[in-house]
Amino acid sequence: MSGTKILIVDDELIMRESLAGWLERDGHEVHKAASGEDALEMIKDTRYDILLVDIKMEGMSGLEVLEIIKEDDPDIAIVMITAYGSISTAIEAIKNGAREYLLKPFDPNELGVLIEKILRSQAQEQENLYLREEVKERTRFESMIGQSRPMQEIFHLIEDVAPTGSTTLITGETGTGKGLAAKAIHSQSDRCFGPFVSVNCGAIPEHLMESELFGYQKGAFTDAKENKKGRLELVHTGTLFLDEIGEISMRMQIDLLKVLEDKVFYRVGGTQPIEADFRVIAATNKDILEEVKKGVFREDLYYRLNVISLQMPTLRERKEDIPLLAELFLKRFANEINKPIDRIDRDAMDEMMLYEWPGNIRELENAIERAVVVCKTQKIMPQDLPIFSSDAVCTPLDMSLREMEKNHINEVLEANDWNISKTAGVLGIDRSTLYKKIKLFDLEKTD
Amino acid sequence: MQNSIIAVSPIGDIDQNIIESIREAISSAYGFGTVVLNAFDDITFAHNHTREQYHSTAILEKLEESIAAENVLKVIAITDKDLFIPILTYVFGEAQLGGKACILSLHRLMEGDRPAIICRVTKEAVHELGHTFSLRHCKEKQCVMGYSRGTQDVDRKGSKMCRYCTVLLNDELKKILF
Repeated sequence: MSGTKILIVDDELIMRESLAGWLERDGHEVHKAASGEDALEMIKDTRYDILLVDIKMEGMSGLEVLEIIKEDDPDIAIVMITAYGSISTAIEAIKNGAREYLLKPFDPNELGVLIEKILRSQAQEQENLYLREEVKERTRFESMIGQSRPMQEIFHLIEDVAPTGSTTLITGETGTGKGLAAKAIHSQSDRCFGPFVSVNCGAIPEHLMESELFGYQKGAFTDAKENKKGRLELVHTGTLFLDEIGEISMRMQIDLLKVLEDKVFYRVGGTQPIEADFRVIAATNKDILEEVKKGVFREDLYYRLNVISLQMPTLRERKEDIPLLAELFLKRFANEINKPIDRIDRDAMDEMMLYEWPGNIRELENAIERAVVVCKTQKIMPQDLPIFSSDAVCTPLDMSLREMEKNHINEVLEANDWNISKTAGVLGIDRSTLYKKIKLFDLEKTD
Repeated sequence: MQNSIIAVSPIGDIDQNIIESIREAISSAYGFGTVVLNAFDDITFAHNHTREQYHSTAILEKLEESIAAENVLKVIAITDKDLFIPILTYVFGEAQLGGKACILSLHRLMEGDRPAIICRVTKEAVHELGHTFSLRHCKEKQCVMGYSRGTQDVDRKGSKMCRYCTVLLNDELKKILF
């Protein structure tokens, strides 16, 4: 919600506090760890963008912290902090994957420039990732399908909502098809001949969001070599889909509210007002009202977005749709890799019907994709569905959904040796969701 | 409801014109009256002999303690000494984010002619006080809450808050005053 998440790891209280105070004023969300051991605990719960780690600490050294974290999460930016005279250790840290090092005490300028440099490079990496995801998303689902009652209700709601042109808030768990519902509303509305422009608020870093939405004028900032239209300009006459709206910063919330009220905005560095006519559909897997209560989401924006609300059902609430969806995915993936697989074994289907699908349709899709790859015959067999262990199939009937979810996540974590990225991939959820689940269920690695 | 007065607390002998200009700028930016309050003059307790600088966090703690009994909303101390926090080589000022006290050092802001100096110190005083109203550094280059890496940045930025910071300040004022 706020800016960059930074973890300071230093055993000296005064260094931690002074650096934290400085970075907080700069708008970053700062957490502090007094030892390497504490830091390792904290990264289990929270995904940090940058870690500032003192090399010389009592107990676990900064270099050890670096080594352990890099093994699990090579993408995280780690800046080593060292005293004058220990440059050789700092250089060793760089060789082991640290992004940069700082000699303390450092110039405020140096710190600001370094953080900005890291954020810019992360922004670039995330933008590339976002673009790749967007291309994938376009081919992800052919259409919304479902014969279940909850889905029939959704279809009716979409039919009612689409022609109204009202701002709509779609809620639901990850992987329930919120994006598809947004596209369905757009395609059945009067704006269907206009563009459908999607903005994944969780995937675009805060510092890119402003220029992404509003565009920029040449010369607005160092890299603005030419004028660029933002998505608000591109969406004119169409529908703007703001996915993961719960992730936008307070600053962006103010901007959005203003645009929703006036339908007028300015490019970054621009002085001419630009009028845009568009409909907004927002989506989130968060409890936004709870975020409002916590003071991290503006109440006025919430009411502005939540004119009409749509709650997407989970896959476990529409289990009768599983065969239909599974067949659809099977056909697509078998075609893609040219394998003559044309059906799903009854036992395999039974297993799928028994499973609770915490990652919803996205998890089902991933499971089928995997099964198609490993399948050796013409039909998908239970053993082709690697996420199901025999324990899961024999789940006691008195086990709660929560317990099942906890067990399954724990098993997949163990099967992947607690590699967070791999586990999240198998479960069909993102890493931050996985971290939250690990914390929620208090899961720990067994030796 | 708290007293709607902001205290300006000079530490040592500070130019009266500078203090008056700061008071005027604060009133204009925040809409509160100001009062001059001499909390203390001696800050040797915060002096670091190795660095020949003064630890701003230590001064802020004493400042907050000293004005605890005073019925003021916020306090800004003004010093001509060079300030630092342990991890950084120097700071122009420090503020308790969302707290009561902040401090501004004139030491590195005094280059150039008189109008330039006045303009610079008033911007930084409004800036540091902004942090006590929970405002963080702003990305708008023209906004007074923009982060200044040197005097050139201070000179370049404007003396007023941008739209975002004004909205956030108003939200904060509503919380404080009502």
